[in-house]
Amino acid sequence: MEGKIIVVTSGKGGVGKTTATSSIGAALALEGKRVAIVDMDIGLRNLDVVMGLENRIVFNIVDVVQGKCKIDQAAIRDRRIDNLFLIPASQSDNKDVLTPAGVERVANELRKKFDYVIMDSPAGIERGFENSIAGANEAVVICTPDVSAVRDADRVIGLLYARSLEPKLIVNRIEPARVARGEMLSHEDVLDILSIELAGLVPMDEKVLISSNTGTPLVLQNDSFAGQAFRRIAKRLNGEDVPIEEPNRKTSVWSKLSKTFGLR
Amino acid sequence: MINFDNTVPVKLKGAGGGLWITIDPSHPESEIIAEIDRLLKKLKHLAINADVILDVGDADGQEELVGRIKSHLENDFELGTISTTPKKRSIPTERRRQRDLSKGWNHHKSDVLMLRGRVRSGQKINARKHLVITGDVNPGAELTAGGDVLVLGTLAGEVHAGYPENDGAMIFSLAFNPSLVTIGLITAIGAGEPGTQGPEFACVEQGSIVVKNYMKENPFKRMPWPEVI
Repeated sequence: MEGKIIVVTSGKGGVGKTTATSSIGAALALEGKRVAIVDMDIGLRNLDVVMGLENRIVFNIVDVVQGKCKIDQAAIRDRRIDNLFLIPASQSDNKDVLTPAGVERVANELRKKFDYVIMDSPAGIERGFENSIAGANEAVVICTPDVSAVRDADRVIGLLYARSLEPKLIVNRIEPARVARGEMLSHEDVLDILSIELAGLVPMDEKVLISSNTGTPLVLQNDSFAGQAFRRIAKRLNGEDVPIEEPNRKTSVWSKLSKTFGLR
Repeated sequence: MINFDNTVPVKLKGAGGGLWITIDPSHPESEIIAEIDRLLKKLKHLAINADVILDVGDADGQEELVGRIKSHLENDFELGTISTTPKKRSIPTERRRQRDLSKGWNHHKSDVLMLRGRVRSGQKINARKHLVITGDVNPGAELTAGGDVLVLGTLAGEVHAGYPENDGAMIFSLAFNPSLVTIGLITAIGAGEPGTQGPEFACVEQGSIVVKNYMKENPFKRMPWPEVI
């Protein structure tokens, strides 16, 4: 049976695509699936750093598409999770060296070798985006609860629909306290506008920064709320029926008392 | 190469049991009469007792020319009745309404564009006449219509009704929160947040765009009868 190719995209930069790609990939690998994560952000290589594999790169995805090496030569096995592989981006080329047709050809080969291939799309809706979605079966749109990210996600969702991909949504970096104070859009507000199937809600978590800087997959940190959220998302993408867990809106003792006595 | 400027002064064709003579009044009268003579003589006995309709098209003020041609035809040819083109009759409103009621507007063709679904950021929709969307219009979407824009959902994008310069158009939505509103040639920037709860519409009053509560000031309530748009 052929594997699935899932593209992780957003439109806007800095919303957590790379973190989500590495976390979902690692979580699926922990579920026992053979997973490849592919960095499609040609020219701005990041996924290898987040995975802590930057010192082991010989070949990259551009080499694979251009026929300079085989997929097995470019795929780097993760140090901690056996079933997880990384195919890095090229740092010296630009995104125009790849064509959607070339990527689609490689995607068909990847499908035969892996259960899941997670593509980390670059920000924007230009050639890099077109390349990333060329061979995808499914799409996941990452969005943070701010107006500009929602606007860009909406545009990307329209483009994905136009290519017959029905994306799922991950709302990332939710800060329940700020939502409660009305300083941030809630995930309901985001869903109201984007109106697509929800893959999961990820709370703001300082451990993401530590994870990225140390090259440790987030899902391996058991005390990380974001890591737990990504593990649940991976289960859902794997077809398991896991209920959506809303990030806790922790309230202080004083606010609880105030609410009880009708002061707020 | 076809010369579009050089049109014939007279065209002749059969119409029912008679003849239809189309005249181009921009040509000299002598040329027109000479051409009619030539064509009718060519028909020989076929023109005898034929009913003739003289057609000068939309040109007004040609009654004298038609009169002279008519008397020329009566004197020189053995034709039947010679008449001018019948004027189109306008159907009285009452009869039209009776027809609408019985036939359910089947005979009308409409230019209204009706779409169902969510219009997303970056999408542009152009309608020649009116535009009806049953769904939401997200921020960043652009709607343009020659007539009214009706959104049965939240309107949060940019909208231009009455394109290019019909100030009489209106924009209606169940939740009115557009970022930019243009009606005809008048533009207004959205308030940035939804107005009163419930359906609202924008129209032009005294040269500026105003937004009103639909339930209080229904823009259609003065219309006594449903009309095809």
